[in-house]
Amino acid sequence: MSQPKNSHQVNLFRPKKGHMRDEVLIILAILFGWGVCTFGFQLLVYLCQGTGAGSLLTRLTLFNLPLHFWFTGQLLPLWFIVLCVIFNLYIDRITEYHSRRRDRSYE
Amino acid sequence: MNDSSWSIFVVLCVLLSFIFVGLRQKSRETHEYGFGGRYTGRIGGGAAIASNWMSAASLMGLAGIIYLQGYQGLAYVIGWTGGYVLLLVLLASQIRRFGKFTAPEFVGERYGSQGARVIAAMISIAISVIYCVAQFKGIGLVFSFMFGIDYSDGVIYGALAVVSYMVLSGMLGLPRNQQLQYLVISVSFIVPLMWLARRLGYFWLLPQFGYGRAITDLSRDFAIDFTLPFAGGTLFQWCALCFTLMVGTAGLPHVLSRFYTVPNVRDARWSVVWGLFFIALIYWSAPAFAVFGRLMEARSGLALPPAAARGMADVVVLKTAVLAGLPGGLVGVLAAGALCAAFFTVAGLLMTGAASISHDLYYSVVNPRASESARMQVAKGGTLVLAAVVLLLALDPPGLIAEITAVAFALAGNTIFPLFLLGIWWDRANRHGAIAGMLTGIVCTVADPLLGGAFPQVAALFPVTSSALLGAPLVVLVMIAVSLATPPPPEEMRRFLEQEVHGHLD
Repeated sequence: MSQPKNSHQVNLFRPKKGHMRDEVLIILAILFGWGVCTFGFQLLVYLCQGTGAGSLLTRLTLFNLPLHFWFTGQLLPLWFIVLCVIFNLYIDRITEYHSRRRDRSYE
Repeated sequence: MNDSSWSIFVVLCVLLSFIFVGLRQKSRETHEYGFGGRYTGRIGGGAAIASNWMSAASLMGLAGIIYLQGYQGLAYVIGWTGGYVLLLVLLASQIRRFGKFTAPEFVGERYGSQGARVIAAMISIAISVIYCVAQFKGIGLVFSFMFGIDYSDGVIYGALAVVSYMVLSGMLGLPRNQQLQYLVISVSFIVPLMWLARRLGYFWLLPQFGYGRAITDLSRDFAIDFTLPFAGGTLFQWCALCFTLMVGTAGLPHVLSRFYTVPNVRDARWSVVWGLFFIALIYWSAPAFAVFGRLMEARSGLALPPAAARGMADVVVLKTAVLAGLPGGLVGVLAAGALCAAFFTVAGLLMTGAASISHDLYYSVVNPRASESARMQVAKGGTLVLAAVVLLLALDPPGLIAEITAVAFALAGNTIFPLFLLGIWWDRANRHGAIAGMLTGIVCTVADPLLGGAFPQVAALFPVTSSALLGAPLVVLVMIAVSLATPPPPEEMRRFLEQEVHGHLD
């Protein structure tokens, strides 16, 4: 083949300039928010078991629910929706920006 | 009329009304909208995503598992909602730009391998079958509840009913009105819950958020701490289950192919948000049913031994409604909602599975010159064969509805998700890597039931319902290693990925 090696490269951790770089940045940011709140919070609850902070997490109540149960059962699904909205708004914006740079109308 | 004849009546009315609405919509669409049907907007698209997703696992299984395991069961709520974040940010727009609509087609095209496509097709069929076993269990339980018959009779009659329903709507050529389906399913779940909350004296306008006082009452009056974290399982088990359900959601074939019913990428993305909201409405409600179930049980003084509680967990929603003295019609509404969700899911999955048999196995491998009508015959026969297999498996269900479903998610998360992830985001992944990855994924999924007896360590690391926490990363590593050790994929595919899938705005 006459083309140089690796002329086409797609890699989540080495995005090419332009739209893809912006897209990957927001993807990684959203995944961070997703992972920390889901698994990080469980780790926190686990590590705090039996300590003062732990009893704070399980004794404080919101809507009559213990804080940790409220966070996992009610706030997290809402947080996922918020993450998706942020992602979509941001992608809408960068798509518009890069479309205009290309002088092309938005799809 | 007593409770059970009320429920039979309501269920019949609901199913018949779907046929009626379908017929009307069909005649109107051919007049007004032509062949393509109509576009229902972002909210409509979201309702379609949600109704495609709702099944007996959401409406019966979820409350059952939370009723049994308390906080540990919340892993299902989080796993089944958080997966949509993964799906949206990592895959949704890219798969759409790639332009292949089913998992076997994507795998076959991206990795350029007939072998990989056949394996992917078999995996999707296996996922459909496992998923349907859980639905059949739900249908069987509702039938045995409504008619007061044995579970095994219930499953058989239920299977007959669902197959006849599929054949009937197929013969009449009814369009699926998924917006109406979502409306019926969600109303029939939430209205009885409001009634229940009101009857028990709790905040009933938003029972999803008003069941907190019931938890307080449970621990104060009966010393049952429903919310204790990690009481019934370890942190590893919680996270493994949650992660498995998340990657499984993002890898389920019938969820992935939802992104093509909306005309453009932007609307497809926004309809995911609406879909997630509609799903969350149900998932905020399920724990309330579980808590009220515990409370009713404690109040009536019938604390069940663990084995009996496990036996009735999947019908806790219906049992609670009956124990609380809900009017028969409302119990019927509840049963009808669950039954509809299971019916539509079974119909969708069996038809997808049969299409895969006909298209990906028969047409592309066995007989590439098969005529249109021969392929149709294979698809029809395939539907019946799959239904029979599912029925046999469902006669002696291996676990709770949510647990059986979780195995399907584990298989999807261990095989299809890594293939899509690397297929989209790493151009160097090739067919050898794909095949090795899928085989590794299958081994990870069945490791616990096959090897768990001999090697307890394997069972601990790859639990059957939650094997993807370690499985999916392992599969990704295997795919990377094998791909790097073998020749790169064709330049054409890499250019397509770079320019079309990721370079549409360059």
